[in-house]
Amino acid sequence: MDEPALIRNAQNGDLNAFNSLVLSYQVIVFNTALRILGDEDQAADASQEAFISAFRALNSYRGGSFRAWLLRTVTNACYDELRRKKRRPTTPLEPETGDGEDIETPRWLTDPNPLPEQHLDQEELEHAIQHCLENLPTDFRAVVVLADIQGLDYGEVAVAVRTPVGTVKSRLARARLRLRECLQGFRELLPAAFRLEEERGL
Amino acid sequence: MTTSSFRDVEQLSAFLDGQLSQAEKSRLETRLKQEPALTILLGDLRNARSILHQTPKRTVPRNFTLDPHMAGIRPPLPRLVPAFSWASAVAAFLFIITLGGNLLGQFSFGPAAPMLAVAPATSQGSGLGSAPLNATTTPASDNSLYTPTPEAFTLMAPQTTLPSENRAIPPLPVTKSLNNPVNIWLLIWPGLALFLLGVAMIIRWLTLVKFRRRVNKK
Repeated sequence: MDEPALIRNAQNGDLNAFNSLVLSYQVIVFNTALRILGDEDQAADASQEAFISAFRALNSYRGGSFRAWLLRTVTNACYDELRRKKRRPTTPLEPETGDGEDIETPRWLTDPNPLPEQHLDQEELEHAIQHCLENLPTDFRAVVVLADIQGLDYGEVAVAVRTPVGTVKSRLARARLRLRECLQGFRELLPAAFRLEEERGL
Repeated sequence: MTTSSFRDVEQLSAFLDGQLSQAEKSRLETRLKQEPALTILLGDLRNARSILHQTPKRTVPRNFTLDPHMAGIRPPLPRLVPAFSWASAVAAFLFIITLGGNLLGQFSFGPAAPMLAVAPATSQGSGLGSAPLNATTTPASDNSLYTPTPEAFTLMAPQTTLPSENRAIPPLPVTKSLNNPVNIWLLIWPGLALFLLGVAMIIRWLTLVKFRRRVNKK
């Protein structure tokens, strides 16, 4: 069944039709939440919340990009989660060294079994990207995640974050500039093609 | 970074996304040919954008599909719900009437109740209550206690009852209450109310069973 028909049926209360939409969009919704929140469990909770809210507010959808409309609900769920985290900050469980000092990186939590080198590189790159994303203000982070990671166009991002296209354009430029500076600190983790290009640029 | 240079970053960022108008695009392309710093900045922004594009997609830890409970879907109400809403109102009304009727009956008939034991004995000349009276008033009637024949009753009755006492005794409430139609309804109303309640519960139960079967099938 095509998407508009599924949306229409879901708007009439057909839960199976809505669940078909959930299966189509759950990867993008979960990954968006993961990049904004930086925590898998919280991202899963936010995604579930987003789908529940989306089903209940489905009649407020009046056409246009359904993906953007759905990502608005997950962005809102993430903002709520971040606000909650800010009100009640938690201390991460980090191991201590023999001297009683905290080990800086939670890499000790990863699987100790040897991994293929490529997989490890990708994992480290992902950590670097996540680190840089988390250093961005929330509004910038949401815009850059939606535009550069999820591939939404400016119009869709504007719908998802409820801001004018001009603001999206400006936030995206600032976010990319900051990310560029941050990612330069992880140059050795970047794929070889990017490193060579950077070196040529320097 | 100055305001004008941030304007350049914004232009370059939009250029990467193909969001510039044709005029803006050609103007920027001309500047890029002339200004190497601008070209380097464009390269950096392109790299940052490309790295973000390469962010690995994680698989979902679980499916986020909703069940009826999560979606807040309640089982449908039976079609007869409006009728049974009225039925419950009627049942409540009947219950109040029954309760009120019982209370009223208790207050009005309550004090007369002890008379029930005496009245039959005095008016018809039979019953246990009449025995002591007979014994004290006329010693000659002692035999009647041991031989309660109908003849004895008819013969003894005028002797045992005094005219003044006969007048003072109120009419029999028992026979009156049995003939009163209100008391029959006091039995019918709660029965009807219980019947309606039972039917409503059965219909609700059948609807729930039907709904659960439909959900499980899906």
